[in-house]
Amino acid sequence: MRSKFFVLAGLLIAVSMILGACQPAAVPTPETIIQTIIVEGEVQEVVVTATPAPVVKPEQMKVLTLNMGPGDIPTIDPSLGTDTSSIQIVAETFIGLTRQDEVTNLVEPGMATTWDSVVNEDGTETITFHLRNDVTWVRYNGSTVEQVLDCDGNPRIVNANDFYYGIMRTLAPATASQYAYVLGMSMVGANDYNSGETDDPSTVGAEVIDDFTIALTFIEQAAYNPAIAGMWIAYAEPSWLIDGDDCTDARGDKWTETGFFQGYGPYTLKEWVHDSTITLVKNPFWVATDNIPAPKIEEVTWTMLDASPAMAEYEAGNIDTVAIPLADMDRVKADPVLSAQYVVAPDFCTYFYGFNTQAPVVNDVRVRRALSMAVDRQSLIDNVLKGNQEPARWFSRPGLAGAPTMEDHPDLGIGYDVTAAKAELQSYLDEVGKTAAELDLTLMFNTSEGHRKIAEAIQQMWKDNLGVDVKLVNQEWAVYLKTIKGADTPQIWRLGWCLDYPDANNFIRENFGPNGSANPWKDGKPFGGAMYNNPDFFAGLLDAAREQDPKVRVDKYAALEETLVSTDAVIIPIYWYTRNTLTKPYVTRTFSTGGHEYIEKWDIDMDAKP
Amino acid sequence: MGRYIIRRILYMLVVILVVSFITFGLMHSVPGGPFDKEKSLPAEIIANLEKRYHLDQPLWKQYLSYLNDVFVPHIAHEKPKGLDVADDYLIDIKITDTFWIRWMNFGPTFSSRSRSVNDIFRQQLPVSVQLGTLALIIAIIIGVPLGIISALKQNTIYDYLGMSIAIFGVSVPVIVLGPLMIWIFGVTLKWLPPTGWGSKPPYIFGFLPTNLGWDYWKYALMPSVALGLGSSAILARLTRASLLQVIREDYIRTARAKGVKERNVIVGHALKNSLIPVVTILGPMMAGLVTGTFVTELTFGIPGMGKYFVTSITNRDYPVIMGTILLYAVFLVVANLLVDIMYAYLDPRIRYD
Repeated sequence: MRSKFFVLAGLLIAVSMILGACQPAAVPTPETIIQTIIVEGEVQEVVVTATPAPVVKPEQMKVLTLNMGPGDIPTIDPSLGTDTSSIQIVAETFIGLTRQDEVTNLVEPGMATTWDSVVNEDGTETITFHLRNDVTWVRYNGSTVEQVLDCDGNPRIVNANDFYYGIMRTLAPATASQYAYVLGMSMVGANDYNSGETDDPSTVGAEVIDDFTIALTFIEQAAYNPAIAGMWIAYAEPSWLIDGDDCTDARGDKWTETGFFQGYGPYTLKEWVHDSTITLVKNPFWVATDNIPAPKIEEVTWTMLDASPAMAEYEAGNIDTVAIPLADMDRVKADPVLSAQYVVAPDFCTYFYGFNTQAPVVNDVRVRRALSMAVDRQSLIDNVLKGNQEPARWFSRPGLAGAPTMEDHPDLGIGYDVTAAKAELQSYLDEVGKTAAELDLTLMFNTSEGHRKIAEAIQQMWKDNLGVDVKLVNQEWAVYLKTIKGADTPQIWRLGWCLDYPDANNFIRENFGPNGSANPWKDGKPFGGAMYNNPDFFAGLLDAAREQDPKVRVDKYAALEETLVSTDAVIIPIYWYTRNTLTKPYVTRTFSTGGHEYIEKWDIDMDAKP
Repeated sequence: MGRYIIRRILYMLVVILVVSFITFGLMHSVPGGPFDKEKSLPAEIIANLEKRYHLDQPLWKQYLSYLNDVFVPHIAHEKPKGLDVADDYLIDIKITDTFWIRWMNFGPTFSSRSRSVNDIFRQQLPVSVQLGTLALIIAIIIGVPLGIISALKQNTIYDYLGMSIAIFGVSVPVIVLGPLMIWIFGVTLKWLPPTGWGSKPPYIFGFLPTNLGWDYWKYALMPSVALGLGSSAILARLTRASLLQVIREDYIRTARAKGVKERNVIVGHALKNSLIPVVTILGPMMAGLVTGTFVTELTFGIPGMGKYFVTSITNRDYPVIMGTILLYAVFLVVANLLVDIMYAYLDPRIRYD
């Protein structure tokens, strides 16, 4: 029995090794052939001439490697994206009706070259988008990028019907898109259609006028409507690939997988190795515009590594740009080579503590203001966070459309001021006849080493500056979210917010408006979160959203921020995020503030690359 | 023996069912759901999501349909299209053009919209199996001989050296050893790539890499050594302790008294018996290693199963929680069965009939 076992085991190992050795020959690895293609566009009729250029040597090919962060990308289906990594990929493989400059966040032409707006009698706003007609759908066929052909053999040109299909697919209840709510709250009829109240698509404020014109109707006139029309949930999508047609097999949920994916942006999907890497390849059929140039870099790969392994890969020369892990910050700053490659860029997120404005003790605005003014944000950043964050004086991150900046509103909001904090608290204590140490306060955060450090530092500041003892409680993330968005919301809680679209409305109104993310309502009353109900403030939010004059709009938002963080002191703004990045000197790049990069604007100096 | 194995397999099915029941009950009784986000989602959006994943149904119905999907073979009368991630069976057998037998649908994942739990099993599990197996082999190759030498040369320099290595292995976790190795061999010397894995789907037999050249080993070397060292230390200490006990047994003294050569006493009598506790621990060790190791995979950027055990729970990704726990349970009970069969081979006193 013994010998038989070993013979069998040996045989199995031998067979598997032989199979293993044979396999590479059987599965040919695809080779990339780079072609230069000249595209000439004419009205309605598009002539595309493809001229293959000499094959570029692999060592001369411009290839960029970045890191996405650990874990697989949740999806690259525009209708379903919710997180930065998903949106990074779709922002390069599709283009919205409009697009935002990644640095200034100003709305620019995307697939729509121009648009005009009409305010209807009922107060709704109809924006008519005029599309370009020279962009074709493309796919990577295993060796090269090719145009997608329709059943008659002509290239499929991205048109208004594709956008209509994309928008309606996002809104269809069966798609169960999470970000459908953004369209739901802004477009006429979108919410009813999404919630299944009606299944008549014509009730949705989206209309195809002709092949290259689409009109979208928004519930209210607002400065950010064109930005919403340019979001990923409103991209054009390939109906023939998802649902199938006469010459294409339907791919359903799996249309985004390697080999099937179709897009039309400056890059397209080459390979997605789940949990490992995703590679985009230059779309040679992309017709450059002023703000969306033809890519110079042939291939872009994102690894899916944790921060420290990514840093090791950067230092080994295998990744071209990386986010610096906190543990390496001091070393990077001290290193002469690395510190020269180090750039701090803003990131559109805000870290804050919120108050349950109806809970004991913190239902008095003086206590809230005192606690907020007793937080030394700069010291927190220098000693605890160490990531060059910016002390936040209000909620909406400067740089957003409509948001005040430190330059135009230097004294706005709230900051570190021990004297004023003590005075506010004393006035409250005198009234209730208590001492600071007698106040019963609890701060809750979700379990994480980072949040704990911040909470402990702030707890100490409150103790030192005000003599207040605040208890710290933490809960696991999902449990925590249930707690702070329900009836048991604690006196003080933690949250962060990152942009969906670069407008102050996305920050202040979508968080603190009635039923905002940090101010949930139930049955017409605050229920959880900030428990905040200020009709004047809510009316101001609507008014500021509608304001057309950019300068007046900023002033209106500045006044609202003052109410939020100082007059009513609903939250303690703590810091505005920054990104600490290292980039190899041979890479020319832009630093996106919105979270996703536009690689078509980047370049690699091949002579300088080792 | 055959009847014993059949009986054990039936027990295993009961164990798996009980595990599925407890896991299902626990994960649904923990507060928080899969769609609770920092950004609150409107009720209509949550309703759409819950409808899509049938979370709007009563729990008992969800559990029964899960059992039905996973355990009961299904019949299809046309070629499965696979358009829906919820319609993905691990085993699809074609009998005729109009008759397909389909078995084991572990459901969609909530966090990854175009992938099913079966996709994770197909694409991530093979990587973890490869890494775990290599680590286990390294653990045995280093650990068992180290333990034997330490035991036979008890209280000599070899013993102290061997056990120092073992203590080092136990007390220096992968989270320290990993980055250290990456720093030395990956970044400074540049002998090996710091992170990554050298094989990707498709796999032979569903789990074997298609290339076994240097392109594979240069990735596999560091993580499997880092992972294997810790386990080898456990094996070394166990082997040493067990062998020391066995050589003091009467039958060893008898063998020596009969004049059996020392070499034969050790190899033929002592060693075989002393391996019983080692084999006992190898079962759960194997199950733990091949189903994925969170820290090692994160440190070396390996696309394995490990993180799904952790992230599925924080994300309340119910089908992934069920899938990973059941997978681990299956590996564990199968490994324990193999261990019990090995007992009979190692110790003639153990009989199962």
